[in-house]
Amino acid sequence: MSGDAIISLRDVGVRYKRRGGLFVPSRYYQALEGITFDLYRGETLGIVGRNGAGKSTLLRLIAGIIQPDSGQVINHGVTVSLLALQAGFDGELSGIDNAVISGMLLGYSRYQVESHLDEIAAFAELGDFMEEPVKTYSSGMRSRLGFAVAIHMSPDVLLLDEVLSVGDQSFRQKAEKAMMKKICSDQSVVFVSHSDEQINRISDRKICLDR
Amino acid sequence: MSKPQIAHSKRRSDQLQPLPAERALEWGWEAMHEGLWREAVQRWATLRLVYPDQGPVWIQAGVAHHQLDEYECAAGLLEQARLRFPDNPNGWIRGALVAADGGMTESAVMLMEQARYRFPNDIDVWLTSAEVLFRAGERARAEALNAEVCRRFPKQAAGGCQYAEFAMRDHRWQEALSRWTRVRAQFPEHRQAFLRAAEAAERLGCASEAKKLRMGASFGADWVKSLEQTDQRDTQIRPPVRRNLRAFADLVVTKARLNLKAEANQNHLRYLWWIIDPLLYMAVFYLVFGLLLQRGGDNYVIYLLTGLVPFQWFAKTVQHAAATIIQGRGLMNLVRVSPLFFPLVAVAQNTGKQIPVFIMLVVLLFACGFYPTVHWLALVPVVAIQLMLMAAIGCLTAMIIPFLRDLLNLVPTGLQFILFCSGVFYTVDTIPEQWHSYFFANPMANLLHQYRLILMEHQWPDWGMTCWLALACMAGLVLVALVYRRLESVFPRVVIE
Repeated sequence: MSGDAIISLRDVGVRYKRRGGLFVPSRYYQALEGITFDLYRGETLGIVGRNGAGKSTLLRLIAGIIQPDSGQVINHGVTVSLLALQAGFDGELSGIDNAVISGMLLGYSRYQVESHLDEIAAFAELGDFMEEPVKTYSSGMRSRLGFAVAIHMSPDVLLLDEVLSVGDQSFRQKAEKAMMKKICSDQSVVFVSHSDEQINRISDRKICLDR
Repeated sequence: MSKPQIAHSKRRSDQLQPLPAERALEWGWEAMHEGLWREAVQRWATLRLVYPDQGPVWIQAGVAHHQLDEYECAAGLLEQARLRFPDNPNGWIRGALVAADGGMTESAVMLMEQARYRFPNDIDVWLTSAEVLFRAGERARAEALNAEVCRRFPKQAAGGCQYAEFAMRDHRWQEALSRWTRVRAQFPEHRQAFLRAAEAAERLGCASEAKKLRMGASFGADWVKSLEQTDQRDTQIRPPVRRNLRAFADLVVTKARLNLKAEANQNHLRYLWWIIDPLLYMAVFYLVFGLLLQRGGDNYVIYLLTGLVPFQWFAKTVQHAAATIIQGRGLMNLVRVSPLFFPLVAVAQNTGKQIPVFIMLVVLLFACGFYPTVHWLALVPVVAIQLMLMAAIGCLTAMIIPFLRDLLNLVPTGLQFILFCSGVFYTVDTIPEQWHSYFFANPMANLLHQYRLILMEHQWPDWGMTCWLALACMAGLVLVALVYRRLESVFPRVVIE
């Protein structure tokens, strides 16, 4: 791959404390070890690995949500966001309120979310349900609303963690189309999926986390 | 015994009847599909003995030999096929391909001329004719024949595809790309036209174009077209590297407002509870201390409430804020937000709930003859100081709890201790003079004293003490904010460990 590296990971390791306390010695679980790679501008990088291989931890590292225990994550001045579905959702609030707070948590300003509300409602296909409390929604409806809010986010590097399996069959296709549109723009994308077929189809390169 | 034996032998002879040709040929096809060419040659040879009148046993045997580069055998079998099955164009098509690959170009060309004469409406005959010429290196003639295919069979994509494939085989990638575009324009759902074009784009080094085309194979031409039509950036929102203070404050206030709304939605009387709750609270104190016990002298109930209302605001806020970082573990690991967000939302939320309580307190003061004076203006800085104090202590407690979770159990006791040290139930006069400086070192005791000076004594607050308190709260807030900044990436790990 040619071009500028926008994020570089150098010998990165992350470990989580599993047990421990005042009288019990701590035990650790090594989630990631010796990870080194560069992410280039405009690239789509797929991450595969079995459950517990550290895929989500790797995305959180790249997003800057956590710091590594060893090694370095170098951000060469780009905006990075994890596409989080249903972030901050509250069942007691209406679809509109949830869209606003979820969007704001993702990094939009209130004005930006409010000016996109019509598009969000249309994409989520919720109609009058946008006024109803989210606790009355089916899980598919919640997923649709979450996706409709998040899909407008366009940082320099977008991190996707198994987000292409939302809603029913028809919405999944629609979501996938919208997401692929984003992937086909100049957006740099790092995405995690369990589907090898999807990874091979979408990504320019793939990283297999296997231990 | 003999009769059953005869019956049995009859059944055996029934079983030895040859299978229907279609089923028997599957045996040969199976080897072909799996690419077992030698095995296929043998199977077709066996099948030829039983089903010599079936075209595939000759033609496919020729194909299998061709795959093994056994051109003579292949040519012989295919010649037989042409003689035996003059209506089957495959004898000519396969024969020409074998001849072309065997270096007998003229023979191949001649075979295809015959085929075109015999089967003028068969597209494969025309395609193979062009292919044979292409393999012979006669590009111009091959392309002319291909043009004829496109003219004769305009509703089939094969002609256009062959035209594009010619360019691909000559490594003329740009040309191939434009030829595939023409195929897609005519046959938008042609998956191969996307995939092969993607290959050409990749060879040209256009990775993004290749990706687009690869996905087009799954999502169709309309989707690809929509990529070109819509400017993605118009509808997209670019989040900032880090929220500015204004955006952060807006986020905190909005979340607090929506939390209050969600809380109200859980009850039938909704927002009315915000008035009922403080009313009942004050009524209980009035009933117990004012009417039943009748202690503490005149205005004791007012004295009590002017201390209790601000203290309850403080206590509820700190209690609420203490666990917020732990409770926000899910969100903290999903989005990048300063951990200060969590306790500050608790402060804002409790402040919102406290407004009606203060209004009720003012009503009660009116009812008891404590009318507003100019000194009430001093409530603004006093309330602001209490806000800063709650924010500092709430954030500090919330910051420590994830590291020492057991402390969460001590928070109610700690607040109870502060309640008794803050002079809510007793006046400052009851404390010996030499202890006053220690008593007022407790910021809540200090603040409650200022509230009472303003609301009950109609005096200005003690500006000296107030200023020191404001400075201490500000310094505390700055310090806490700095520590939070340092621990920002530590919290998401600590809260899940």
